[in-house]
Amino acid sequence: MDVTALLLADSRFPGGGHVHSGGLEEAVARKLITVERDLPEFLHGRLWTVGLMAASFAAAAAHAARRGVHSGYWRRLDAELDARTPSVAQREASRAQGRGTARAGRIAWPAVAELLAVTPRPHHPIITGALAGAGGSLPRDAALAVAYLAVSGPASAAVRLLGFDPLHVNAMVARLAPALEAVADEAAVTAGADPSELPAPGAPALDLLAEAHLRHHKEEVRLFAS
Amino acid sequence: MKADARLVAEYRDGRTILRELRSMAPLTLFPKRTGGDAVVHLVNSATSPLGGDDLRLTVIVGAGARLRLSGVAATLALPGQHADGSHSTLDVHVERGGRFEYLPEPTVVTSRARHTAELFASLDDDARLRVREVLVLGRVGERPGSLRTTQRIVRGQVPLLHQTLDVGSLRFAARRVLATEILVGEDPVEPAGGDWWSVTPLAAGGALFTALAPDAVTAAKDLDRARACFPKMSW
Repeated sequence: MDVTALLLADSRFPGGGHVHSGGLEEAVARKLITVERDLPEFLHGRLWTVGLMAASFAAAAAHAARRGVHSGYWRRLDAELDARTPSVAQREASRAQGRGTARAGRIAWPAVAELLAVTPRPHHPIITGALAGAGGSLPRDAALAVAYLAVSGPASAAVRLLGFDPLHVNAMVARLAPALEAVADEAAVTAGADPSELPAPGAPALDLLAEAHLRHHKEEVRLFAS
Repeated sequence: MKADARLVAEYRDGRTILRELRSMAPLTLFPKRTGGDAVVHLVNSATSPLGGDDLRLTVIVGAGARLRLSGVAATLALPGQHADGSHSTLDVHVERGGRFEYLPEPTVVTSRARHTAELFASLDDDARLRVREVLVLGRVGERPGSLRTTQRIVRGQVPLLHQTLDVGSLRFAARRVLATEILVGEDPVEPAGGDWWSVTPLAAGGALFTALAPDAVTAAKDLDRARACFPKMSW
């Protein structure tokens, strides 16, 4: 993994990712997750659905940035990710995170200007992958960074919301290593494919959690934006 | 079993006629006589899908025509002699001003079944579509096999929905029934929902209802509740 991908995967990257829990806060509010042993299954399910899709789009965006595609490609990639994100709450969360990532990253890797010209509020996996590609990362490294972010965010949210032992939670994320590598491998295979052929794994339970989270977020105080 | 069935509806002289109706076992199409719209029942004339089956149904709804394709009994996805699982594809094209409803009965994924179901729909700009899908993970007390469903809906050149669900490996938060309904061509909606159901507007048009329920009866009630969010719906 190269430095650009490491910077993008770092929780200290100033893209605003720390305000998103990936559905975990809603799952906690409903008591679907109460003890540490509930967490690995949530992370695993999220990785193989939302995580795999994000990783696939990040790999495709990195591949595209490296070969210097025209603006029509970015529009199509954006539309295909929209079609794979039926939940309006999930779309909003992805674009909010994408905007923060773009703001932080475009100074370091200005080659994403054309992508931002056609999609000023890009989806998070697309801008992250494009920044990685612009910085020289391979599509698989972009995919691995985004797959990791799909589980590291909810994992640290669990520490903050439920007071889980951070050392135990860190070990759970470490145990996901083979699955993270497998997701990155799968995402790398389709990096050069037509956007319509990218994977589209759905996660109806996570979509329902996201929709409910957004409703509750408007009504009461929630710690996380999603 | 391999099958390739075909259904073509056309609008002629103020009503919808079935210009082509080609069944191929186990995909058997029964036309029903109605007023102006065409209604066809899709019947499984053999135990299917079994492992090794490869079934395809092509539906073309001509400009201005209205067609409803509905099921009459639940589909049981069963394991067969073949290790490679079973596969079914529904390919739909709806021309301008046409309307297609696909309302199959629930699909029950039995233990050890390996089934893939695909729906590809391409719509002209002002065509309308309604697709309901109810997936039940196993019969009561049974561990489900695997089912992979893919739905891709494109209007003009724009993808509206593309979703693959791996049922079986995916757990629906300990709920056995997933019900979804896609509506394209209705007025835009505001998001609405409860803990285990929601109505969301899709980004490029159309809306999706989703419900996760402990049983099919609850799922049907949730879908009714979601449908009430479209007071002017004319389906």
